[in-house]
Amino acid sequence: MTADALDPLIHVPARLQIMATLATLPGGDALSFTRLQDMIGLTPGNLITHLRKLEEADYLTSEKTGSGPASRTSVALTHRGRAALDLYTQTLRGLLNGL
Amino acid sequence: MNGTSDIGEAGMYGDEGALDPHRAAQLLERTQREAQRELDYRSPWLSVIAAVVALVGFGAVWLTVRDQHPFTGPTTAALWVLYPLIAIRIATVLYAHRRASAGVSGRSVKLRQAEIAAIAVALLAVYLLMFALADNGAGHATFYWMYGLTATLVVLGGCWATRSAVREDWQEFGVCIAVVLVAAFGALAGPRAMWLVDGVGLCVVLLVAAAAEAWLPRTARSDI
Repeated sequence: MTADALDPLIHVPARLQIMATLATLPGGDALSFTRLQDMIGLTPGNLITHLRKLEEADYLTSEKTGSGPASRTSVALTHRGRAALDLYTQTLRGLLNGL
Repeated sequence: MNGTSDIGEAGMYGDEGALDPHRAAQLLERTQREAQRELDYRSPWLSVIAAVVALVGFGAVWLTVRDQHPFTGPTTAALWVLYPLIAIRIATVLYAHRRASAGVSGRSVKLRQAEIAAIAVALLAVYLLMFALADNGAGHATFYWMYGLTATLVVLGGCWATRSAVREDWQEFGVCIAVVLVAAFGALAGPRAMWLVDGVGLCVVLLVAAAAEAWLPRTARSDI
């Protein structure tokens, strides 16, 4: 098995951090965009780019509530996203054990 | 959290960043550990504060009641030590909780509100029963203070132990059961020694909990 077996969508530092951070929340919970940004340390533009890629793959969902300055965007892992991270972790473990 | 410091620029901003399996495993493990720590309101320091509150607050009461024959209850001066300390404990927990849960929404927030409401109702019922019994002739200092303190600790410890068991948080479950046992044995010691047993017992339990939180971090969901 080689590193190519790892999900290329997750196997990028910023997106791995996003997935790992959201996975620590209990199922059904969401994290606000600003808190996620604080925790990961990405600029808003970079974070939006990575979130969009993960959302297109149905690994996470985002929800915007309110409007204007009071608007708030929350993101959460989907079942598919959680399963993808679990598979990524298993594959990574297999790779490390094989090294 | 500053988990990106050793990640290359390319890896930070695009898909082209080379990430070997070892670094990926380290990044995953570190990110989960730090996220858990940031999203969890509990900390060793919070447990240490609770231990000090129990020891100093209950200790102050014990100093004023140990020579009372018959037992008449804590003096006003002792309660002026105990109640502000309890208020400090509640304020620190609320502050830590608000900080940890900032930006979090969804199912667990509603569950937590329901759990706190259930505990509040259980405590209210306990105090209503106490006042009902006092109103019907049981209004003696021994009954009032022994029942009030022991029932509060048993209800808080028992409810939180159930919550911890449902979440399979066995570390917290053990602490809650220990609190219930301390309260029960404290009651057996009588109205005067109860304050000493509860103060020292809770202090030891909470210091052990603080040490466990510091040295035995909760297992990350997908640890490599």
